[in-house]
Amino acid sequence: MTDAEITVIGAGPSGMVAATTLSKVGYHVEIIEQRETLGGAIYRQPVESAMAGGPAAGSNARWKTIRNAFVKQAIPVRCGTVFLGIDGDGLVLIEDRRKGRVERLRRKGVVVAVGAVEKVYPRTGWHLPGVSTAGGLQVMMKETGRAPEGRVLLAGNGPLLIAVAAQMARLGNPPAALVEAGDPFGHMATGVALLKHPALLQEALLYLMDVYRSRIPWLRGAHVTSIEKEGPALLVRIERKGLEKRMSVDRIGLHDGIRCNDFGLPPETLSSKDAPVVVRAGDCREALGAIAAEADGARAAQRLANILSGSAEASGLDAAINRTRQAQDLLARLFAPIGNVSPLAICSDETILCRCEAKTVGDLRSLCQHLHPMTGREVKLNGRFAMGACQGRFCADNTASLMALMNADSADLPPRAEDLTGRRWPVRPVSIAALTAAANPNTEKPNNEVEQDDAS
Amino acid sequence: MSGQTFVWKGKDVPFRSGESIAAALEAAGVFSFGTDTFGQDFRYFCGIGACQGCLVRVDGLLREACLTVARPGMRVGSPEDGHD
Repeated sequence: MTDAEITVIGAGPSGMVAATTLSKVGYHVEIIEQRETLGGAIYRQPVESAMAGGPAAGSNARWKTIRNAFVKQAIPVRCGTVFLGIDGDGLVLIEDRRKGRVERLRRKGVVVAVGAVEKVYPRTGWHLPGVSTAGGLQVMMKETGRAPEGRVLLAGNGPLLIAVAAQMARLGNPPAALVEAGDPFGHMATGVALLKHPALLQEALLYLMDVYRSRIPWLRGAHVTSIEKEGPALLVRIERKGLEKRMSVDRIGLHDGIRCNDFGLPPETLSSKDAPVVVRAGDCREALGAIAAEADGARAAQRLANILSGSAEASGLDAAINRTRQAQDLLARLFAPIGNVSPLAICSDETILCRCEAKTVGDLRSLCQHLHPMTGREVKLNGRFAMGACQGRFCADNTASLMALMNADSADLPPRAEDLTGRRWPVRPVSIAALTAAANPNTEKPNNEVEQDDAS
Repeated sequence: MSGQTFVWKGKDVPFRSGESIAAALEAAGVFSFGTDTFGQDFRYFCGIGACQGCLVRVDGLLREACLTVARPGMRVGSPEDGHD
């Protein structure tokens, strides 16, 4: 077996297309994937005997094309394996989670294709059991072929909520309600502009028809303000036009958009002098969704091949990516939240902001009351925000935005999520035992040890 | 149904081949996987291995319930259950 020259991280659409493209031009490629199956979150595969969770026909056809091209290249796949980072020696660190073993790989190139994460604004009680992201409910439906049981509320912002509602309806349990911060019907002109994107429009209309057919209440211009435990159920308070509505539900799916899962990733490199050459592909470069991810996988692969072979840099992003960006911009305008108040500004002081470290809005407020406003890094080091196991994936944006609101009169630049998270490996938590076990075999002895050996 | 089970805190939990621990626990009606040092519940949240909120102890090792495929006879418990 020939050792791989290039490791692709993540077997979603962008990673699979990148691996296929590189393999076709003659590189020895391998792909690592944290789960046991290919496809990523968007094409999460159903388990044995599960009813297909209702992916649209177009989506199914796209997946088959990606998979067939990938399978044809016979690319080695390491499943159950996570990417930890690139160490100071330029070695790629991965952990085989089944064996609990860390490996250090010498590679010419790395394609990082680790996708997106959902944005979730804090609301009192968002961290309780029974509350997940809406995307979390969706991937579970794809995996199990079952809708979440009981009374389910979907809440937040954006078209994904409608897709999840439609998929739940097809699997026999439509949500009790859909709470949407925006009001797409209030932007007819933007809606008309979607005619330029017929495939997207058709998909959206099919989902909307399912929502109407199942009589799912769609509360637009509304927000979930708090969630509390009420016996075995969850009591939800919903605010709409100044009025409060209460609902008792079993499960809640929250979603306020998606963003790049670029936390702690090594920077991209531009020259073959860097070893390994690192390029990003798909949603972790720019969160545009599945169709753009495919095109971006091919683009990233071409760019990496050009750098490695010393040929001229490929020109920018291709048309498919630009077109998807336009469509995403339209959707963002269509779903723009109603009202000018940030959902962060209305959180009570008890609301958990950083779940890993149990830090609240009130904790951040007391840090921000110092005479000299703290930087993102100081808030992390003094307040433990974004310091926990998720490494800021679900709190860094919210903490940075709330800091900006709390320090509104400061002359300093508003903090960014990256000021809190920093940029260092490991990208994922790993046991110290697994790390130290990997450090030894290929590491040269320090000089003083060699001298001691000589002297003895 | 394949009749396979793993052990969750001493009880048998059925699962289908390829199913994650999180999916099998959800089907069994288990929503809290234990509590962290602050008293907050470990629970299923993002479904993609990013939030670290669904950690469980699998045969002594901390693993994300949403990423880890269930296998017959596996011993699964709360993170605070410690090594065994």
